[in-house]
Amino acid sequence: MSTTPRVSSAIPGEPAHFGSVLAHQPDIAESFFALYGRFWGSDVLPARIKEVARMRNARVTECGFCRNVRFDKAVAQGLGEEVVDDIADGYETSAKLTDTEKAVLKFTDALIHDPELLTGDARAALQRHLTPAQIAELGLGVTLFLALAKALITLGLEPQEMGRTVLPTPAVLEAAE
Amino acid sequence: MSGPAGGGPVHAALAGDPVLAEHYAAFRAKAESALDARLVALIREAIAAVHGMEAAAIDDTALDDRTRVCVTYARRIPFEHTAITDPEVAALVAHLGEPRFVAFSVVAALADAECRAALVDLPGLAAA
Repeated sequence: MSTTPRVSSAIPGEPAHFGSVLAHQPDIAESFFALYGRFWGSDVLPARIKEVARMRNARVTECGFCRNVRFDKAVAQGLGEEVVDDIADGYETSAKLTDTEKAVLKFTDALIHDPELLTGDARAALQRHLTPAQIAELGLGVTLFLALAKALITLGLEPQEMGRTVLPTPAVLEAAE
Repeated sequence: MSGPAGGGPVHAALAGDPVLAEHYAAFRAKAESALDARLVALIREAIAAVHGMEAAAIDDTALDDRTRVCVTYARRIPFEHTAITDPEVAALVAHLGEPRFVAFSVVAALADAECRAALVDLPGLAAA
């Protein structure tokens, strides 16, 4: 896996990172950030639940950037590092993750790794803990997390070294509305 | 079973949230419109085939060299994305140029994720 950018920055003076590389395609960038902001701005599914799924995706896809970023809205909703540490293999036995979060993690594993994980009890548990609208939002989120992680990795935008970084949660830009 | 078509499984699952669905459709459309429509179709078919969702395999012998490089690369996305090498990327960038390679990366990653969303029956789960 490369940690050397495979594509140059499209913004003069800026190093290659996701935003500056995506700037090669301004229309794609604009529509992605509008979508991502709308997704994180919606409270149909709490930010903490979305972040639990994002953290799981980061670990399974081996996206170092995704793994080290935390969004502040989820942190404010109680997603501390002691909980994040349990989003690893064996999460089913965690005492810190809620039953809803475990159902979300099973769905996440099924989508990004093996669809057979979401049969029978796991499917029923997801539908017991989340409404259809929440499942739709979760499905969108995991789709975007997975696609974003794979794009970052294949574009060579993984950091060589990166500490844990709390970032503002993506939001809808008023000018885009 | 064939790969996701039309608006795809994620868009279908978002039927209850027209605003979010519209944003998703716009993002997908912008990414795809940056590439030739036939190449987008081939990317989707190649990735769906890797997931066992495409009835007919692509006939690589009918493709020109540049398109074959693109299809071969797309097949790596579902299960081998961390193993893609710098020379593989360089070959694709040489064919497409950087802006179109960026679009290609988005389209391929999204196609893979949409196949996976279909395989867990996301629309069915969201409609229950």
